[in-house]
Amino acid sequence: MPTLAFAQGFPSELKDKIIGVQLGTTGDIMVSDIDEVRIERYNKANDAVQSLMNEKIDAVVIDEQPALTFVQKNTGLKILEREFAKEKYAIALSKKNKALKNQINGILSELKADGTMDRIVQNYIGENKGQFPLKLSLNEKYPNGTLIVATSATFPPYEYYKEAQIVGIDMDLAKTIAHRLGKKLIVEDMEFDAIINAVQSGKADLGIAGMSVTPDRLKNVDFTNSYTASKQVVIVREKTQQTDTAVSFAQRFQNDFITDARWKYLTIGLGHTLLITALSVLIGIALGSIIAIIRVSHDKNASFPFLNLVCRLYLTVIRATPAMIQLLIMYYVIFSTTNVNKILVAVLAFGLNSAAYVAEIIRSGILSVDHGQNEAGRSLGLNFSQTMRFIILPQAFKNVLPALANEFIVLLKETSICGYIGLMDLTRGGDIIRSITYDAFLPLFAVAFIYLILVMFLTAGVSKLEKRLKRNER
Amino acid sequence: MNADPKIILDVRNVSKSYGQSLILNNISTCVKKGDVIAIIGPSGCGKSTFLRMLNGLETPTSGNILFEGTDLTDKKTDLNMIRRKIGMVFQQFNLFAHMTVRQNITLAPVKLNLMTKGEADERADQLLKEVGLPDKADVYPAMLSGGQRQRIAIARALAMNPDVMLFDEPTSALDPEMVGEVLELVRRLAEKGMTMVLVTHEMGFAREVANRVMFFDEKVICEENTPQEIFYNPQSPRLKAFLSKVLK
Repeated sequence: MPTLAFAQGFPSELKDKIIGVQLGTTGDIMVSDIDEVRIERYNKANDAVQSLMNEKIDAVVIDEQPALTFVQKNTGLKILEREFAKEKYAIALSKKNKALKNQINGILSELKADGTMDRIVQNYIGENKGQFPLKLSLNEKYPNGTLIVATSATFPPYEYYKEAQIVGIDMDLAKTIAHRLGKKLIVEDMEFDAIINAVQSGKADLGIAGMSVTPDRLKNVDFTNSYTASKQVVIVREKTQQTDTAVSFAQRFQNDFITDARWKYLTIGLGHTLLITALSVLIGIALGSIIAIIRVSHDKNASFPFLNLVCRLYLTVIRATPAMIQLLIMYYVIFSTTNVNKILVAVLAFGLNSAAYVAEIIRSGILSVDHGQNEAGRSLGLNFSQTMRFIILPQAFKNVLPALANEFIVLLKETSICGYIGLMDLTRGGDIIRSITYDAFLPLFAVAFIYLILVMFLTAGVSKLEKRLKRNER
Repeated sequence: MNADPKIILDVRNVSKSYGQSLILNNISTCVKKGDVIAIIGPSGCGKSTFLRMLNGLETPTSGNILFEGTDLTDKKTDLNMIRRKIGMVFQQFNLFAHMTVRQNITLAPVKLNLMTKGEADERADQLLKEVGLPDKADVYPAMLSGGQRQRIAIARALAMNPDVMLFDEPTSALDPEMVGEVLELVRRLAEKGMTMVLVTHEMGFAREVANRVMFFDEKVICEENTPQEIFYNPQSPRLKAFLSKVLK
């Protein structure tokens, strides 16, 4: 891959150093080919820069423009003065969609010819920053449907969060393209390394995220002509480091939560976290109970042999694989071609995951209820399901309530991986603030604190319920 | 064999085995309306298994059991419908621990749509009076003594208005001072004409209350007769040996 190599050879001062990159970026590809250094891959460019500032790594290889933003916003960083190979950004799209490719290449030529592309770039880069805000005549109708664009909004000035909106060069470009296509633009924020997948699977029509054309990417997706050029640079720490720029706690608090109403990232995220957890719990209890009943009645009277086999297979698969993988499979494989609500995907993934654990908990609860209770119910003429519903399950639930509560606490916290499908839950809300303010301390602690409060409420609620259910004991 | 309307339970050539071990061997007998049958015998002789087969809690390995003419061993028979008419009282009471006394009694009649909630509550109050516990409707089983629990269990079975009541050693789990109150209740039921089959170790009670006694031993009904004959004129050596052990 000659186009991606360092133009003037490998910088000798980086020998044996630890270099941070963003997973799946051009920088990652370049540095991975160098044997003399160790590589650390981060999900977000911002995390790599923060590690550099914390002296966990020695350099970050990243695209020039984001590097400039990072260096400008953080003291104690500089860019190595050395020329690197140019690279060209292009828009990723599905190999199957030749018509769209031709359309967009046409639009890109027009934008370059009439100066629109230059204005979009200059609005974010250089002396005339902010001089050319995007102006589009308002489209009331979208005769040609939607245009879903996948991006990773931690890459200023191409795409980043500002006032709860994703903005930047790529976003202005996306808006312009959607406008010219007569389509409604929908932006899907996700991890950078997930964009190619999203485009390939059809979850997104386009991937616009400061992406260069590489041979590996070309195996999976197609690219349009390039729309702008960039290059990779190396950020390192300045020798005379002055990190104590004395920003007061109040200022940081202001910057993290108050400015641009950034607390909204947390409240919106919290809402999603609660919604996903609550619905998953419902699925978990419903499906878990059914599985538990099938398993118990099979073990007792050899009924439902086939269903029991299915349940056991399900329990094995779900409990033996990480929840995150299940979530990714649900989103990128099972629901790859259909455009379903991400919250629904998460609810399904976490609900199905939780059901497996709940099933075993409830099964142990059913087994803990004295067999005589079942016989007494059946002797009165109640059928199997009536006996289960009115007699066995209520007692089983009571016996396993502490274990169930524990499972739901785990579930609540497990939803923090929602960010991997680009869903803004509480954790990702905090991450977005981090990517804007470059402050790790307050957003992370705020998120941790909110989870703590949630779990405390949950625990208090459960112990109240437990007391109520204990009324029938001496 | 035409069904005699007086025959409530007809046991025909019933055998039961668990795996290789035979528990009951080719038993035939019947329970007629108004019968009070005491089943006695050494422990492990299969008396409880026999009783539990009468309402389908255990399935015979071979043979037939007919309840009011319907064969329990027929796969097409809806056992749930049969069980509504057969009350069962267990050694360990088996009251529903998470429900109050009233809920225990009214659950089945209401859920099976045999009574409205109001009717069932009324019936529960009446039954609680009958078993001598009118003020216990709203307490949980855990707050009652063993004897009280067994009386509630009997009331729960009676709430279904059964044609026959099965008692599986109803006093064996009780402290001695509580045995009397339960037996007294069973005696009153017998006097009212309730058909009953009871497995018991209370020989005195069997002698006084039952009109027939079955002595189970060695997998069969070894001897079946009036209490008078069983207790004062036992025929088989095994019954004699058993009685000499239990009657001091």
